[in-house]
Amino acid sequence: MFELELEKAVLEVKNRNAKRVVIQLPDGLKAKSNLVADTIEKETGAEVLIWLNSCYGACDLPLGLEVLNIDLMIQWGHNRYHKVQEMW
Amino acid sequence: MQLVFIDARFEGEVKLGDEVLTHIKDNNVKSVALFASVNFLGLDIVKKQLIEAGCDILTTKAKRTHVPTQILGCDSYEDSYEEDIISKADMVLYVGDGMFHPKALLLSQTFRKDIKDVIIWDPVAGGMKVINRATIQKQLNRTKGNLTRFLVAQTIGVLVTTKPGQQYLHQAQKLKEHLKTIDKKCYVFISDTIDIHHLENYPFIDAWVNTACPRIGQDDITTITKPMINIKEAFDPGKALEDLA
Repeated sequence: MFELELEKAVLEVKNRNAKRVVIQLPDGLKAKSNLVADTIEKETGAEVLIWLNSCYGACDLPLGLEVLNIDLMIQWGHNRYHKVQEMW
Repeated sequence: MQLVFIDARFEGEVKLGDEVLTHIKDNNVKSVALFASVNFLGLDIVKKQLIEAGCDILTTKAKRTHVPTQILGCDSYEDSYEEDIISKADMVLYVGDGMFHPKALLLSQTFRKDIKDVIIWDPVAGGMKVINRATIQKQLNRTKGNLTRFLVAQTIGVLVTTKPGQQYLHQAQKLKEHLKTIDKKCYVFISDTIDIHHLENYPFIDAWVNTACPRIGQDDITTITKPMINIKEAFDPGKALEDLA
């Protein structure tokens, strides 16, 4: 029902030469995360890890991924976010 | 670590149903404030339909988005938008599924006397819904009650998330300083996820202030017993209460 743009995801992984990728999907798309992971792994050879928890928006990025040496994170369902620095 | 976003656009046709066009005609609507979530931003057909129905289309950019017309769930305050088009329009139209985003359009009118209805066209369900003041009445009542209880609370807990997109520690620190001047005790709590169930572990807190996603202080307040208000109201709760009356 919603366009996963797997070709774009694969291209981003390849262009960035990412070896370890985290995918983060909102609840409505989480059931498709196996399809996303399988496609990226098959097409790029990168290792894909699936973020288990929330994906409320572009403001809601997982923390602490650096300890796992993640090269790239792809979030579905949202777009670029401009934080208002002073207060929402 | 690099970051990429994928919009996940709706694959079907985004086109208004007859119910919306009839509503426009029956209510003699001449201008429409148009909003959509990112998944439904392909609005060319919708705009054409509105023009053919004789409507001026009003759009604005929510400050945290980079595409005009798009809204986020956190666009739930009047000043979340570059321009106030809601008060200028005959009708507020949201295109998308779910209730989280369109409710932001109602909540953004919280401190106004008249809250305009929001017409939802859901391309997934293929149906129209109307939400209005009654939809958020429980939240408005709780906000009013919470502001009153905050005014008399002695010990305040301020919630700060460590997630960079929602992190406003400097506002918590500013509030702590302010509360000191009016003889209230204040503690700042940090977490990577604000789970309201954890609040019960701190019985010494009389009232909470949320600095993370504003919807925590607007939606989740109906499910907790302790009062919670948003940081935006915490510096002058008396005025917020007056504006709500």
